[in-house]
Amino acid sequence: MLRDQFPGLNVTVHGKPLVYLDNAATACRPQRVLDAVQEYYTRFNANIHRGVHTLSEIATERFEGARESMARLINAPSARQLVFTRGSTESINLVANTFARERLSAGDEILISYMEHHSNIVPWQLLCQQTGAVLKVIPMNERGELRLETLDELITERTKMLAVVHVSNSLGTINPVKEIIAKAHAREVPVLVDGAQALPHMAVDVQDLDCDFYTISGHKMYGPTGIGILYGKMEHLEAMPPWQGGGEMIAKVTFERTVFNHVPAKFEAGTPNIAGGIGLGAAAEFIMDVGMDKIQARDAELLAYATEKMQAIDGLRLIGTAACKTAVNSFVIDGVHPHDLGTVLDHYGIAIRTGHHCTMPALQFFKVPGTARASFAFYNTHEEIDYFVDCVQKAREMFT
Amino acid sequence: MSQLGDLYKQVVLEHNRHPRHYGAPAHYTHKAEGLNAICGDQVLVFLNVVDDTIASIHFDGESCAISTASASLMCEFLTGKSVSEAHRHFQQFCRLMDKNTPVEHVPELGQVNAIAGVRKFPTRIKSATLCWHAMNAALDGKEFATTEK
Repeated sequence: MLRDQFPGLNVTVHGKPLVYLDNAATACRPQRVLDAVQEYYTRFNANIHRGVHTLSEIATERFEGARESMARLINAPSARQLVFTRGSTESINLVANTFARERLSAGDEILISYMEHHSNIVPWQLLCQQTGAVLKVIPMNERGELRLETLDELITERTKMLAVVHVSNSLGTINPVKEIIAKAHAREVPVLVDGAQALPHMAVDVQDLDCDFYTISGHKMYGPTGIGILYGKMEHLEAMPPWQGGGEMIAKVTFERTVFNHVPAKFEAGTPNIAGGIGLGAAAEFIMDVGMDKIQARDAELLAYATEKMQAIDGLRLIGTAACKTAVNSFVIDGVHPHDLGTVLDHYGIAIRTGHHCTMPALQFFKVPGTARASFAFYNTHEEIDYFVDCVQKAREMFT
Repeated sequence: MSQLGDLYKQVVLEHNRHPRHYGAPAHYTHKAEGLNAICGDQVLVFLNVVDDTIASIHFDGESCAISTASASLMCEFLTGKSVSEAHRHFQQFCRLMDKNTPVEHVPELGQVNAIAGVRKFPTRIKSATLCWHAMNAALDGKEFATTEK
């Protein structure tokens, strides 16, 4: 059983077996990832790209091997186009500050969508404040789908950047990013896709999408925390100025001048999260071994089952009912505040997320201050969903 | 489930279903907004202070059962108290909510003690204290209050 490979699921909370339905916040990790991290610290503990000694060589090989694994997972033309970062948030900040900043003057426009995570809003807002650029927003409909018919009008001669989420963390919506990218490119607007929530659920092919940048968080895709990827088109990465200064990102340093290293080292100042990178590589290999088609099919089945069961609960309203969704169900219940529901479910051993999910504008659109969110992964079971639904019923009875 | 019962006592559930002193009043002398950035909860507290006495106190906003019940209990309790008494009760309430103190009950706080079960739920303590912080800030002439120290 695949589920048995996830030791983090095999714990009790308040004396009850854990039912982990908070996968969109962070996924659980397979033993293989844990082993890869442990192996680095115990078998070839060394810094990378530095030493001539054997252990450094092995560590470097594994770290670069992980980059290759991630490149295969997203079908990047070359592993050199993958920059290791702390996660999707840092990847977006990197692009905002190196790629976008240089292209912006006062009055220029950055286009994002209504359902962005704060991490794909705030970096652009900061950039607007600093450059005098203007932030514009693609609207969405009542189901939580982007209104793409507005795109032709929203993209203007002044649009210098479009940043859009592939899969919404709070609504589950899968956005038709390929179509958005094609429309943006027709007007010569580069596109960043925030893929933090996509990788754990669906096959991603950056060449097929033709995105300019794609951002990934390792911990959402069954990898370690504190590690992620920025994928970029080579012509952009080569033209971009460095991000942070330090070791590793240089070819030569004198007090007069520094010659920067090649891509991707140019963006990887300092000793990176070596263990995290190696763990992320193991997560990519795990996903490819299981097969994304199998993961996608299982997710779809769990979502259909959970949606049917949840809709039968009196007073429950799903927030985010897009036709194309991943296994995420945000919801509110009449008379039961999400935080109270979260506390009650926790006492039954069920972990869900409650609140605004770092997407405050999206929830304001639905006129709710917060929601409860059950987010599923392929290792969840029908029995867990039944138990979750029973416990939600109990909480409802308690408060109403 | 007994712990859950300590948190959601019948008194708390009842105040959540039928909150007292709820809704913005037409007239008030002091007002502050309590913000909890983590969960997005928002509580507004309005006081009408006449001759150093809290003649009336109301709260508004949408928040969880703990927050709603705590505000409802607070408003009932503080009506008719002096400003200095309100400040003192705020300190007492903070001690009651501090899981690092041995104080599990403050007789002087009367019915407000019903909320004390929150002490055992570290993730929810701020829900209970938000309205008290807002009340205290309002009396100090401040516009906003957070539960952050």
